Amino acid sequence: QESHATGKRPDNLTDLIEEGELLLTLNIFYPVIFQKHKDHKPYQTVLVLGSQKLTELRDSISCVSDLQIGGEFSSQPDQAPEHISKDLYKSAFFYFEGIFYNDKRYPECRDLSRTIIEWSESHDRGYENLQSVKMEDYVFNDLSLKIGFPYLYCHQGNCEHIIIITDIRLIHHDDCLDRNLYPLLIKKHWLCTRKCFVCKMYTARWVTNRDSLAPVDPCFFCDVCFRMLHYDAEGNKLGEFLAYPYVDPGIFN
Amino acid sequence: MSAVPGLKEDCEELLGAFQQADTVRFERFAELWRERRFHTVFYGRIRALERNKLTKTTLELAQQYFLPPYSFQIRVGALYLLYGLYNAQLCQPKQKIRIALKDWPEIQKFQQDLLDSQHYDAAYIFRRLRLARAFHFTAMPKLLTYRTKKKIEENYFKEEFKDPSNRVNSLITNDVLEELMNIHGHYQKMKLVISADKSQPDKALSLIKDDFVVNLKDITLEHQEWQQNRMKLFQNAKETDETENKKKEETLIESEGSERANALARIKYRSYSAVVEASKSRRHRQVQLESSEAGSSCGKSPSKKNSRRPQPARRRGEMQVAKETVTRHIGMPIITEESSDE
Repeated sequence: QESHATGKRPDNLTDLIEEGELLLTLNIFYPVIFQKHKDHKPYQTVLVLGSQKLTELRDSISCVSDLQIGGEFSSQPDQAPEHISKDLYKSAFFYFEGIFYNDKRYPECRDLSRTIIEWSESHDRGYENLQSVKMEDYVFNDLSLKIGFPYLYCHQGNCEHIIIITDIRLIHHDDCLDRNLYPLLIKKHWLCTRKCFVCKMYTARWVTNRDSLAPVDPCFFCDVCFRMLHYDAEGNKLGEFLAYPYVDPGIFN
Repeated sequence: MSAVPGLKEDCEELLGAFQQADTVRFERFAELWRERRFHTVFYGRIRALERNKLTKTTLELAQQYFLPPYSFQIRVGALYLLYGLYNAQLCQPKQKIRIALKDWPEIQKFQQDLLDSQHYDAAYIFRRLRLARAFHFTAMPKLLTYRTKKKIEENYFKEEFKDPSNRVNSLITNDVLEELMNIHGHYQKMKLVISADKSQPDKALSLIKDDFVVNLKDITLEHQEWQQNRMKLFQNAKETDETENKKKEETLIESEGSERANALARIKYRSYSAVVEASKSRRHRQVQLESSEAGSSCGKSPSKKNSRRPQPARRRGEMQVAKETVTRHIGMPIITEESSDE
């Protein structure tokens, strides 16, 4: 895992990482979308500094579910909204050692962990006091963690990622010492992108269900082929179908 | 980290040769290293990714020998080995040696030992590594990977590299013995206080052996001597004739086995010496205590006790002779179960 950032030094000396800083290596697993991933879950590896806030890590996690656009747009394909799910549903939490760290930076953020805490408190389920605190108030140095133990990152209400800390060590002379580059992604699983059913060249941007014009259900199309097939020259809808904007998981490759 | 075939054996061979050389001088180690052209261990993998993995695995393997419970000489050898491997590696930037937080006090103690015993070359080597920033200071010694392994490799230590494991000594230390003496003294005093005759405890209160602590101390000393003699015997056995060598080793190993069996016999004897009296209805099934003392009329061999324990029944004749020689050398009291052997 040759890191592109090894040995980098910042331009601005205030961004230089000091001696004694801790470096954590986290494995963030993708949520299981494909069945074949169930046995060997793909993950990305991120380096994070001990003095960084949890929110910095949260912002750096790129998950395809953040980019989803909800809604059926067969009648108005041009009006697929600008808002991606990341902007709409801002709540998220981390779970480490019995404490839920909820993102509360925006007014729209809700306490997603409340359901879990209420559930555990309703009966004597054997879980000790689960607490809920604000994510932006904590840095990694404040946490007590177990190495190799699975923790959780949840966002979008139900998109869950397992997080495992694989290593904690002191920062070293040969590491990247530019604070701005952290959290640093050093390893990423490469996912196959789904291509358009028609041209087999471009990445799919639309998915249709119950499509009378498509041979399979669901069927994936790139933007050009989608419009050419389903709409006439005036933009009228042809045939019966339901169309949803599609974001391929491999978009981050 | 995937296992690299042959790497462990190569390292152990080098360390073994160093141990044989019976020195801790770096020149000697360097000679052995050059003889074997050990730097070529990294030549196998060409691609960068594999090279990194190989180097990491090698350093991790060598690092294990640097920590206790290995003997002092092996640890110095491991230090030299780490120095050699760190400098001979082909990765750019260099892969580092991982040391966990919990191991640092021991390593510092080790460094102090080196300085105190004036092994300045080893201390210098260690200082060189520190100055070269060769260490990663980590929380845990092993970097975790998430591959499903087919089998979990057992980390087995080479016996000869270890310091003779002084389990008995670490349990029955001087402090423990001293405390036992104290408690024993107190106990005796208490007995005197509550007895009618103030100079001697009542006969009814004598429930333990009076010289129990002294006996314990003697036994541990005996054990230590026996262990040392055994180690020497093992070493000597290697230098004699091949066949003789094999025989002795086998008998040693066998006698080890039978020693253990005898130890088991002793424990079982003690636990079985209390016999519960069966109720009247089961009187015909009353357990009878068979004495396992040597010389008793314990002629019935197919008794339950014998069949339970796997004794090396074959080569009885040799066993007898070997046992006697072994007894003479070692002097450890053996309570034999089978009267047929005596």
